[in-house]
Amino acid sequence: MKKRKERIDRGIKVRSEDIFALTSYREMIYLLAPRALPVVGLLLFVPLFSPYWREIFISTAIYALLAISWDVLVSVGLISLGQSFFYGVGSYVAGALNHYWGLPPVLTLPVATIGGAAICTIALLPVLRLRGIYFSMVTLVLPLMILRLVEATRIFGGTEGLTGLSPFPGQLTEMYIANACLLIALFGFRRLLDSDYGLIVRGINDNDRAVMNAGLNIHWYKTQILFLGAAVGCFAGAFGTHHDMFAGMPGFALDYSIMPIAAAIVGGTGTFAGSVLGAFILVPLSEILRALGALRIVFYGLFLVIFVVGIPEGLFHYIRRKYHQFERWVDVE
Amino acid sequence: MEPILSVKNLMVFFENALALNDFTMETGEGQITGIIGPNSAGKTTLMNTLSGLIIDMRIKERRRGGERITVYGQITYRGEDITEMTPVNRVKRGIVLCRERHPIFPESNVLENLRIAGYLKKRSRIKKIVNQAFDLFPALIHLKNRKAGFLSGGEQQMLAIGMALVAEPRLLLLDEPLLGLSPMMQQLLVEAIKVLISESVLTVMIAEQFARPVLPIINFGYILENGMLALSGTGKELMDNPEVKSAYFGV
Repeated sequence: MKKRKERIDRGIKVRSEDIFALTSYREMIYLLAPRALPVVGLLLFVPLFSPYWREIFISTAIYALLAISWDVLVSVGLISLGQSFFYGVGSYVAGALNHYWGLPPVLTLPVATIGGAAICTIALLPVLRLRGIYFSMVTLVLPLMILRLVEATRIFGGTEGLTGLSPFPGQLTEMYIANACLLIALFGFRRLLDSDYGLIVRGINDNDRAVMNAGLNIHWYKTQILFLGAAVGCFAGAFGTHHDMFAGMPGFALDYSIMPIAAAIVGGTGTFAGSVLGAFILVPLSEILRALGALRIVFYGLFLVIFVVGIPEGLFHYIRRKYHQFERWVDVE
Repeated sequence: MEPILSVKNLMVFFENALALNDFTMETGEGQITGIIGPNSAGKTTLMNTLSGLIIDMRIKERRRGGERITVYGQITYRGEDITEMTPVNRVKRGIVLCRERHPIFPESNVLENLRIAGYLKKRSRIKKIVNQAFDLFPALIHLKNRKAGFLSGGEQQMLAIGMALVAEPRLLLLDEPLLGLSPMMQQLLVEAIKVLISESVLTVMIAEQFARPVLPIINFGYILENGMLALSGTGKELMDNPEVKSAYFGV
């Protein structure tokens, strides 16, 4: 008699997906726990760390926002290699408003988010119709181009950048702003992509011609998603610039493009939670590895390779599967 | 007669769904075997399992964390157990599959397509077998330099079968060769298969849902339903069977 390992969805998952009938506290906790985990972790647990680690978690939140922004674009099939473009534009808009007109962060953050996203959307509009490698190429080149533009024309302080920007009132306030915005983006986008709107967005990624056949203007939807993704990236930039009290050329650095992609790949794309999880693994890890000195990048790279080869679907997808399914041995008759 | 291919108690699971249930069959040298069944009967799964593509699918699904594919049972080809053999080694031993929906390389022209298919052969040999393929499907000759993506469905199907032939099969597996073709084109292809079998030592297995053109040419047929073997018999027996008549001929 041969045996076969069977994988079955837990009853609670099936019921909560279809008819949403919860019958006990146990089931409510089952559904609530994974959602409460990031909220409790980010708002209650993370602020308990030392100021040094809080600093690291603030930059982790920035990278997590950029990873979410990357994931948003991927959900409609746009593979961006230039999150640093969004980060840089957001940081320069916020920096300029603060530096030249003295606006406080409470105004520069929303203005840079919306205005920066509008600038990025308009800049990328001509290439939005291109798919695959062409969109990636342009997003890769744009930040590098702007970098040289700033250097050559010396606008916005040239190579020195804009210094002496107003900081946030305190480290804890700063941390709560970052984490709250991260949670809003995380749950907001998850909700958005679960709605009917998200259905269209995912449809465009799967088969854009079929969506066109349904009489929907896919370019308009792509523009909207690009705007949303850019808004998240620009917010990260604006936040980062007030955090550093400096807006300058490093905002367009390649780090801000590569790290979010690595985070999203390690965590698993398409869920946003995966991107956040990836960022919260990779950024602190890179700090811990500082102790290794010059070998840091080697170990970091090794870790990435192990992750991508070991769990190619992404860590979050793997955990989710284990959480929702159980396995048992059955006879093959 | 010693069967060249025998399948024993084959079971294929896609996660918890049973695609093929306890399927047993065999085929002898130089025979045409038909696997007849409606959609979702498991014909394509059987073809993929025989050609070894399922092994590749299994690895890809596992890496994606998708459906787990499990294969039980035994496939023997010329006395050798090939159940876990990779597709490459099966092609080297002469088992060649022509997949459904005529997969061709749309960006290459017809001649290039045929030459790609002869990858494992020697250069001098390729020229000869490509010409044989053109002899079998003369319609392809004047399309030689046309991009394969621009051919019609029937021409693409001829090309796909031609490509399978260039790999010099000893056991040719045809998965739904008549799908999406006009009745005239279907007849033309069936005639070509007949010619093929009479000219060379070739064993053919055809998986098809159109029983009408296929049943007259097969030596032995298996009728699949929902992954289960429903009926088997010679082509003549199946054609005379009242159930087959009502289900497939509408009589």
